[in-house]
Amino acid sequence: MNIRSVEKSTWIFIIFSLLLFIVPFIVTGRSMQFIIIQIFIFAIFAMSYDILLGYTGIISFGHVMFFGIGAYSTAIIMNNMDATVLSFFVAILVAVIIASIVSFIVGALTLRLKSHFYAMLTLALAGLFLVAAEKWRSLTGGNDGFTFRLPEILRESHNLYMLCLIALILFFFGLRRFTKSPFGRVLMAIRENEARTESLGYKVLHYKVIASVVAGVVASIAGVLYALSLRFVNTGVFATDLTIDVLLMTIIGGVGTLVGPILGAGLVEFAHHWLSGLSNVHWIFERWIILYGTVYVLVVIFFPLGIVGTIQSKFTNRTVKGLRDNRKTVGK
Amino acid sequence: MDLIISLTVNGLATGMLIFLLAAGLTLIFGLMSVLNFAHGGLFIWGAYTGVWSFQMTGSFVVGIITAIITGLLLGLVTERLIIRPVYGNHIQQILITLGFMLVLQEFIKVVFGPDQKAVFPPEILQGSFLVGDIVLIKYRLFIIAVGILIFIVSSFILKRTRIGLIVRAGVMDKEMVQSLGINIKLVFMLVFMVGAAMAALSGIMHAVYSGVIYAEMGLEFSILAFIVVVIGGMGSFSGSLFAAILVGLAQAFMAYYVPALSLAVNMLLMTVVLIFRPQGLFGKG
Repeated sequence: MNIRSVEKSTWIFIIFSLLLFIVPFIVTGRSMQFIIIQIFIFAIFAMSYDILLGYTGIISFGHVMFFGIGAYSTAIIMNNMDATVLSFFVAILVAVIIASIVSFIVGALTLRLKSHFYAMLTLALAGLFLVAAEKWRSLTGGNDGFTFRLPEILRESHNLYMLCLIALILFFFGLRRFTKSPFGRVLMAIRENEARTESLGYKVLHYKVIASVVAGVVASIAGVLYALSLRFVNTGVFATDLTIDVLLMTIIGGVGTLVGPILGAGLVEFAHHWLSGLSNVHWIFERWIILYGTVYVLVVIFFPLGIVGTIQSKFTNRTVKGLRDNRKTVGK
Repeated sequence: MDLIISLTVNGLATGMLIFLLAAGLTLIFGLMSVLNFAHGGLFIWGAYTGVWSFQMTGSFVVGIITAIITGLLLGLVTERLIIRPVYGNHIQQILITLGFMLVLQEFIKVVFGPDQKAVFPPEILQGSFLVGDIVLIKYRLFIIAVGILIFIVSSFILKRTRIGLIVRAGVMDKEMVQSLGINIKLVFMLVFMVGAAMAALSGIMHAVYSGVIYAEMGLEFSILAFIVVVIGGMGSFSGSLFAAILVGLAQAFMAYYVPALSLAVNMLLMTVVLIFRPQGLFGKG
């Protein structure tokens, strides 16, 4: 590989990810490390969402179901098999297989629909998964959930940090390569103008389904890591709140940028931590979702490109069509 | 036989409640092409404020009126603050209304507290009629009557009055209506307010029907309304009624015979409709 052909931004990202390897030696507090681990996990989840929303222009309100599939397959396998590294790999494999099958079926059935229908349908499907997890008590433990044991090596907070960081870096560079590939370009073409992409001879549905499978699999891995970090799982992993969280992360950070969702995950997780710490000060902070929702609504109206997107558009005049304001066409 | 009749009455009552919610959703969508994910939030606000004033004054009529007024006001605020800045941009609309739904839901917990609340029907609607061997619960009949009344009144307004003409013309071609000198924005706002009021009415009726209210109820129930709108066809008023009754009946019978599948049956119905008739049963191709 010719070292000169590597983009300047890639070097920045590499340096930054190397720096993150040093962090656990500086930040040794367990609770702080836990927060950073959560940020990594949600960054992976938000990046997978960005493949759908930011790159392909698909709004899914059910992305949380893949996250939940990952979390539950880990928890159930770890609970029923020996707590070894081997069963961890089995869990990953099972999560990936189930998530890809589900995302393929959901995508193939529903992605030909208009954005409204797709959003509603995915919301309803995620609701179905939530109900199923609550009803199937023998397997999932219902709303109370259950704890499970981890292999020795993953119990150490330090090792878990490294695992999540490596996963984040691999997925970041992998997805970045994916979006810059010819395939990723077609996805962006679909986002900009679906009809034109179709008439250029691309089978739009195929591309959309593959995008949703990729996003689903990555989200399921995030779910696996989430279950690992908590050593506990309950129906909360299918909750709509989580979808809103990941939407907020993606949108605040900047859709269609991949870096944005990581930044957004950091901001939202820290804000969450900070606000729930404030609940002793005033009871209103227990209802931090109100603040979240309000910020989210304001961001969608006034700040649709997000942090990274706004900075980028200052430099390159780039716009994201799906979220850009186009008031001229009333309705339709 | 009496079992089947009582399940049918159950199904019809649920169906009417879903219809009240779905009708507003589908009209708003048909006219403004806005899919309002916050509809469940309006539903839950109708339920809480209605129940509150019902328990304060002891009069169910006052409760219903309060719910409707809440719906109208919230509809006005929602349309002005949330929907108007994002007309014509579907992605933004979908994202923003879902966010607002969450805000509405959490505000319920701030104002009325996070716990579940028990609700009892007014005395006049408690108990049941006995026709032969068949037990007909009064409140369910009341819901069905209100649903039919609302359907008839709104169909009459839509089909026989000048306002209805404007709304229907707006659904077909809003630019043309506007160029004929009608303030289409005002029409949008009024339709949105009426739709919100119907959601709120559905909320208070459902609150008394189920006997308990909690903040998450809005999102749960609005999923049923989405299913109904998809099955009936976006923008079709009578399609919504038909699909709502279908979903209500399917739910009632399934809940009795195969309880585990009562939500799945609606998803299945929706999936089948989407595969074979993506525009919905009554939707225009």
